[in-house]
Amino acid sequence: MTKCRPIPSHGVGIGLRSPHVSEIAATRPELAFLEMHAENYMAETPALERLLELRRDYAVSLHGVALSLGSAEELDRGHLGRFKALIERIEPMLVSEHLAWSAVGGAYLNDLLPLPYTEASLDLFCRHVEEAQEALGRRLLIENPSSYLRYRDSLIPEAEFITEVVCRTGCGILCDVNNIYVSAWNFGFDPFDYLDALPIAAIGEIHLAGHHAAEDVDILIDDHGSRVAQPVWELHAAALRRFGPVPTLIEWDTDLPALGVLLDEAHHAEKLAHADRRADAA
Amino acid sequence: MPKSWPMPTDVLMLLELQMRLSRAILRGDTAEIVAAILGDGLDPAARVGIYRNHAFATLGDALRGTFPVVCRLVDKRFFAYAAHEYLREHPPHSRCLVEYGADFADFLAQFAPCEQLPYLADVARFEWALNIAATVRQETPLQAESLAAIPPAEAAYVALRMQPSLSYLVSPWPIDAVWQANQEDVPPTIDLASGGASLQIRRAGETVAWRRLDPGSFAFRTALADGLVLAAAMSAATLKDPAFELTESLRQVFAEGLAVAFCISPKQETSR
Repeated sequence: MTKCRPIPSHGVGIGLRSPHVSEIAATRPELAFLEMHAENYMAETPALERLLELRRDYAVSLHGVALSLGSAEELDRGHLGRFKALIERIEPMLVSEHLAWSAVGGAYLNDLLPLPYTEASLDLFCRHVEEAQEALGRRLLIENPSSYLRYRDSLIPEAEFITEVVCRTGCGILCDVNNIYVSAWNFGFDPFDYLDALPIAAIGEIHLAGHHAAEDVDILIDDHGSRVAQPVWELHAAALRRFGPVPTLIEWDTDLPALGVLLDEAHHAEKLAHADRRADAA
Repeated sequence: MPKSWPMPTDVLMLLELQMRLSRAILRGDTAEIVAAILGDGLDPAARVGIYRNHAFATLGDALRGTFPVVCRLVDKRFFAYAAHEYLREHPPHSRCLVEYGADFADFLAQFAPCEQLPYLADVARFEWALNIAATVRQETPLQAESLAAIPPAEAAYVALRMQPSLSYLVSPWPIDAVWQANQEDVPPTIDLASGGASLQIRRAGETVAWRRLDPGSFAFRTALADGLVLAAAMSAATLKDPAFELTESLRQVFAEGLAVAFCISPKQETSR
């Protein structure tokens, strides 16, 4: 197997979803990388075999969605062990997880639930990131979540919280630009200020996806179910200006369209990345 | 910067907050969490509802993916209702959703609204066995010749380790026929009175394979899978089928590649 095929810093990838696997295997579209949810490949399924085949031709990024780094309990060592075993088989270029929690009291809720941003949760989250990085033998990228609620006790702005996690643990940031836009809309803050508060050197990847407006209430829902919205492309352009070239991923989960639609979105992201590089050179 | 571990009370307070939000999501009772949430122009309970909807929708999708024929037999809306009731009391423990639903069949067996469909729980057991077989790698089969060197006096005490993907399932209903019929756009009619099925389910390469077994072979193979030695497995099989023939049955076990290792277990007594 090719070891850790590099992802070009201006490269664009797509999230690998099972209905697209056969077509990708057959047509081998030009993509800088593929990203997959780690939890979908932790069992010895035929899907894992197909991923190992794709791995020969593509750089990959493993995106964990269930480590629950924000749980006020011990990390699930069994899950961490399965994650490590998968990393050893896939040899991903990037490994990421979330600033969130999803399990407590033995129940896994399959959602990225928000933390109150306090000194106590910061200490806890940092301890878990350090434990995970040590157990996995890898630096993690931590993704900013999309949020629909804030706690009364939450006193630290999210961008400041995640920056402090970077300082204390040495992790990187997976900057989900759509999530920033969604949370900014939902809580009425300026998404450009949020971008400006993130440490440039820590940004290891960008996520882009679609969202939709909830019925009845003025809330945006991050459903990964449509093309990237125009204001999110604008925020992404600002992110590229600030961070420089960063591997960028198009995510799509709900109402998955034909592969061509994702490739079209990826192509658009590539054009933006190259435009930004030309602007730099000028 | 030096690392400081928070006071246990801080962690306990965070844990309590998370337990409250978890209960609000699973049970829909937001009374004990809303005071901790800012309104920001919207009822805090409605904010919790966004997370609750997502959790139930995605976990319901996971169950529908694992139990597609059960879903088809009861229709999507009823399945969503049954899945919702199941989820409330049986949230996943594993972070891998392909492993969610081990006791869904038992739940359906006790679920009063399903009592008109007595075969439903067994169809769910069959789908669970298919699902699990697809998550376990096929191991290199043991060749029959490997047993040739065993002294005849010890042959009775040989125990086989079987393919880890194997499961055996018996039902008074023709659940395999029901499952097969529901792979069609227009399912053919199945005669539920046509008798039960004794089934073997396993991983076979990139797919999952299943077959019906006669009562003797079923008893023999389930005994082997339970770790019983050959003599004990043969006794179990002969009880079900007095004409059970060991040599031919063992040949078939090897021909299907079901055994992956063996050991000789002299302390295990054979049943008589």
